[in-house]
Amino acid sequence: MFRRASFGLPPLRGLLPLLFLLVLWQAIDPKGSPYFPPPSAWWTGLAALARSGRLASALSATLTTFFLAIALACVIGGLAGLLIGRSRGARRALGPLLEFCRGLPPPVMVPVGVLLLGYVEGLKLVIVVLVAVWPILLNTASSTAALSDLLGEVSQTFRLGRFATLRKIVVPSAVPAFLVGVRGAVPLAIIITLLVEMLTSLPGIGSLIVISQRQFHSAEVYGLLVVVGLVGFVINGAFVMIEGMLLSRWPPRAGYVQGT
Amino acid sequence: MRADRINIPGIVTLLLVAAAWEASVRTGLVTFEYLPAPSAIAVAFAGIVRSGELLTNTAHTLRSVLIGWVLAGLIGGALGLIFGLSRFARRWFLASLEVLRPLPAIAFLPVALLLFSFSLTTELVVMIYASIWPMFINTMGGVSDVASRLHDVSLTLKLTRMQTLWKVLLPAAAPAIVVGARLCLGTTLVMAIIAEMIGNPHGLGYAVVSALMSIQPEQMFAYVLFIGVLAIALNYCLIVATRRLLPAYGREAANHV
Repeated sequence: MFRRASFGLPPLRGLLPLLFLLVLWQAIDPKGSPYFPPPSAWWTGLAALARSGRLASALSATLTTFFLAIALACVIGGLAGLLIGRSRGARRALGPLLEFCRGLPPPVMVPVGVLLLGYVEGLKLVIVVLVAVWPILLNTASSTAALSDLLGEVSQTFRLGRFATLRKIVVPSAVPAFLVGVRGAVPLAIIITLLVEMLTSLPGIGSLIVISQRQFHSAEVYGLLVVVGLVGFVINGAFVMIEGMLLSRWPPRAGYVQGT
Repeated sequence: MRADRINIPGIVTLLLVAAAWEASVRTGLVTFEYLPAPSAIAVAFAGIVRSGELLTNTAHTLRSVLIGWVLAGLIGGALGLIFGLSRFARRWFLASLEVLRPLPAIAFLPVALLLFSFSLTTELVVMIYASIWPMFINTMGGVSDVASRLHDVSLTLKLTRMQTLWKVLLPAAAPAIVVGARLCLGTTLVMAIIAEMIGNPHGLGYAVVSALMSIQPEQMFAYVLFIGVLAIALNYCLIVATRRLLPAYGREAANHV
């Protein structure tokens, strides 16, 4: 996979153009237009939302859904992926169905969930899990299936039982691909959480930002955009760090096992 | 999991799932109030095909996907080329983009709605913002990866900068760029559907939501399944095209989903 492995973190001075643009925006302050409030107004809008307590409750609703959904998707996707990957028959029988589920664009799961479950508390969670589980499941399954014969012979040589083979050989060799799956699932889960909130007006950042937009509180909309951006940045960054820490115990290139 | 032979157990599973679905709805086994049976979905599908509704909506979505894909591909590719080749750009500008990249594109929808209201522009802005990134990252990665390895060749052959670009860098980076283009297409379709659900009341995304709002479950499921098939067909076309264009890399690129 062609990721920017060769770069590492770009130098921080690269942030200067963005800062410059924001300062310029503030300085010009297109007062005539209600659509381009300057950054200071974003802050005022956000502060108002924060004082009323709406920001904190929306943020916690969104983050709760996201973290629960990712945790559930990891457990379900990881276990199902291992099971499906271990059995050639299951892979072949479930193949087309799984391919279809993966190919289905995630946003269409939202109306399906709303239709079947109605506007209930657990709706957000169910939909986000349903969407986030596929990349994890399929990556785990394909890497488990692609386990090299050599490793299979290792387990025979050491006369490992089924459980010991699973614990000592199968699971460790599936971890890098599992993490690649989670890396795909994280941004997807954020987007779908926000989408469910926007479509159903269930409490969260997504519905908050849509309400501000409908009331033409443009400063709040920009402010919330920054909040969402920060949340995305922190979550993705944290995941890359965790992934790096976990993978430091695996041989390099192991993370390249991907796809089906 | 893709086999060249016909996957009989796989097809049997699909049929079994459909049959179980049909049976459980007919016998009232499942308690979902609005779950239609596959046969009812098939009837609804025939209905939207006959009324021409499906064709109009598909045409709208495919048109915006195509426009968005080409624009995002060009912008992302150009940015990727600049950042892959220029250390200066990477040092002084890359961090700004890296901060913007994880911003969930869907959060741009309300901003785009403020600026452009319910329009194709809103749809395209959100689509393009989201799908620039896969193209950008892959092109930048591909080009800079090559730059270190094949640089000596162009020095030895005394190629000019333009020659180096066309004869060494771009061909060598082509597989990465093609992967970027494929990911880019997938993202464009997903974002088009999201944008149509919220921002631009046309196309397949809107059709699904409006079927939901008017409580026509059969029609909604017909659209959902059709969107799934369409997405898979688009991806498949691109895999085939990749194999034709880059026979040597097609296999490798197709595996990087």
